Amino acid sequence: MQTQNKNDDIIQIKGLGKNFGDKVILKDINGEVKSGQVICIIGPSGAGKSTFLRCLNMLEKPTSGSVIFDGTDLTKLSDKQLVEVREKMGMVFQSFNLFPNMTVRKNLKLAPIRVKHMSDEEADKVATHLLDRVGLSDFADVYPDSLSGGQKQRVAIARALAMNPEVMLFDEPTSALDPEMVGEVLGVMQELANEGMTMVVVTHEMGFAKQVANQVWFMADSAILEKDTPDEIFSNPKNPRTKDFIGKIIEAK
Amino acid sequence: MKKSKTKGIIQFILLFLSVFTFFVMGSSNNSASAADNSLQKVKQRGELIMATSPDYPPYEFQSSGANGQNEIVGMDIEVAKKIAKDLHVKLVIKSMNFDSVLVAVETGKADMAIGGINPTPARRQSVDFSKIYYTGGQSFLINASDVNKIKSQKNLAGQNVGVQTGTLQYNLAKQYIPNVTIKGMDKTTDLVLALKTHKVDAVGMEKPSAEAYVKNDPSVKMIPSTYKLTQNETGVAIAFKKGATSLTNAANKSITEIQKKNLTQQYLASAGKYMKVNTVNTSMWHYWDYFAKGVEYTLLISLISSLVGVLLGMFLALMRFSKLKWVRAISISYTEFVRGTPLMVQVMFVYFGIGVVVNLPALLSGIIAVSLNSGAYVSEIIRGGINSVEKGQTEAAASLGLSETDLMRFVVLPQAFKNIWPALGNEFIALIKESSIVSIIGVTDLIYQLNIVRADTYRGVMPIFVAMLLYFFMTFILTRILNHYEGKMKHADSE
Ligand SMILES: Nc1ncnc2c1ncn2[C@@H]1O[C@H](COP(=O)(O)OP(=O)(O)OP(=O)(O)O)[C@@H](O)[C@H]1O
Ligand SMILES: [Mg+2]
Repeated sequence: MQTQNKNDDIIQIKGLGKNFGDKVILKDINGEVKSGQVICIIGPSGAGKSTFLRCLNMLEKPTSGSVIFDGTDLTKLSDKQLVEVREKMGMVFQSFNLFPNMTVRKNLKLAPIRVKHMSDEEADKVATHLLDRVGLSDFADVYPDSLSGGQKQRVAIARALAMNPEVMLFDEPTSALDPEMVGEVLGVMQELANEGMTMVVVTHEMGFAKQVANQVWFMADSAILEKDTPDEIFSNPKNPRTKDFIGKIIEAK
Repeated sequence: MKKSKTKGIIQFILLFLSVFTFFVMGSSNNSASAADNSLQKVKQRGELIMATSPDYPPYEFQSSGANGQNEIVGMDIEVAKKIAKDLHVKLVIKSMNFDSVLVAVETGKADMAIGGINPTPARRQSVDFSKIYYTGGQSFLINASDVNKIKSQKNLAGQNVGVQTGTLQYNLAKQYIPNVTIKGMDKTTDLVLALKTHKVDAVGMEKPSAEAYVKNDPSVKMIPSTYKLTQNETGVAIAFKKGATSLTNAANKSITEIQKKNLTQQYLASAGKYMKVNTVNTSMWHYWDYFAKGVEYTLLISLISSLVGVLLGMFLALMRFSKLKWVRAISISYTEFVRGTPLMVQVMFVYFGIGVVVNLPALLSGIIAVSLNSGAYVSEIIRGGINSVEKGQTEAAASLGLSETDLMRFVVLPQAFKNIWPALGNEFIALIKESSIVSIIGVTDLIYQLNIVRADTYRGVMPIFVAMLLYFFMTFILTRILNHYEGKMKHADSE
């Protein structure tokens, strides 16, 4: 399966397009994510950032182009085969999407047991370890409803990590949080990056992007208009749309 | 997009209907053209099946008998017994609404219908009749307090007159009483109650029936009618399926003997005796076993129908989420169709309509119709419950690599169930109440039994009150049980 993989790209996006009906949401998106890289995606609302991220793990089926993950073109896979790929790509959502009908521990254990066929004890060990890592050991047996937003998002990260994914996708993980909770979640993400996790992060947290990202991709009007290092994008943007967008963000701060 | 989708569904429903109509029409034509083996069939079966509506004393009515046995008695029953005896077969009585007895004969549910039926020309078009076995005549029942006001039929002009729907009395009153306002009801007992509560000024009924009421209730009196009537309108005869000549002839032989020996007088006298027994003890306690049987059947029908309904509903809901368009279309068509037609019509359709093809007993027909009906509603409840689970839940589960089945089983359904349960509870409660409609095909549920008790005791209101309480107890207890489990679920959630 590794035959197509000439370099260390873990994800290659080639000519990706997506329509909803006659509405064009994404057009001709290209890019590579190398193993261990952190890519931040920024851009105005409605640009297609979420749709792009969801095309990476096929939650949304692209209309054209291909997404090559570990040398496999995901757009050619059947639904059954996709299930196996998805477990290698963790995803964290803006609205957490924890399962409210299970305790925190059960949230973490469900997929390892059902998908990876781990024994209950094994899954329990993984869960305990990961909850400790995101600083929530004390909350293992509560239901998600009783957690704060920051705690929920940390559980959601731990839940995705429980599948031991190769890539983590984040869709505005801190946008729904009260400002005082943003830090705790970004802290966990920074640690992950430091440990070498490959990450694609849609975010508006410029501080995080500057510090952690290897590359920042600017998206607007269904396309990626500019790709560069965080320093270049933030201090010396080339595309006028990028300039405009960065300007507005700095103004807002 | 949307438009063509609805169009597709409409086409599908139309197709479904036309295939169905073809099927039912076709099969009824077949049976009409069959050769006459009616007598032979009865003899082979060893049973003569009669349909009747036992709320018409002294012709036929339910009696609690001297030895506490519930049975249908009356002059007509004696006539039927005589015919069965002459044929050397057993008599089987199927009871149902008067509206339904002729249909039962037409569709082969019964070999004959007896019930004070006047062989009018209109009726002769759909069934065959025996010779007239009794000539009663028409009369009116009025309130005793009105004897000075209503002295003859003439005084009824411009008044309210109550009559049983689907009867000769109905047509006569409409035709011959000037400016009359007709109030048609199913049950004679309801008509008498309407009379006593002054909702109508008179009730048109056969003379022997009116005499029976007068004998048992001093608050009503009888006046004769002045209709100019033919034999066909005063006499009563037995209805048979069109073309069942051999059976009709056999019955005529018995009737000739009945007339020769003047047996109807004897039959009427013994019917009167039963009626005396009935009026001795009209306390509701005396009839507790009637109500108990009614409750038992109502619970039985509701219980089985809700179980089958839930299974069918789950199945239909799953079909709704299928990837195949035609599977979805079947589920949608079914649900729309069932929700768009009254349960009463569905019950009659299963009993009489499907009955043309396979002969289903009334109880089974009732259960099938109510189950099929409930399934459609349950499927909507389940679908709504599943749709109420946020899309993010499915996406999160899918992003973890959970299979479609696991995703449903562990994430969506448990959450959906919390929304489904209360709505499902309401459906169960509705079922207990709505299943009462099966009484029209003679299933002995609580409503049916209620009407029997009313006919039997000549008490219009009390049995209604008892039935109301019984329904309330059933639904109240069920509500408590459901709330208990709902509470438990909530508790488990917030632990
Ligand atoms: N399922 C869908 N059907 C039709 N249109 C959709 C669907 N999902 C998204 N869109 C449209 O696609 C466009 C891009 O949406 P997307 O959510 O990807 O934008 P975004 O860049 O993530 O915006 P935001 O910053 O607000 O999250 C929007 O105009 C949206 O209305
Ligand atoms: Mg978005």
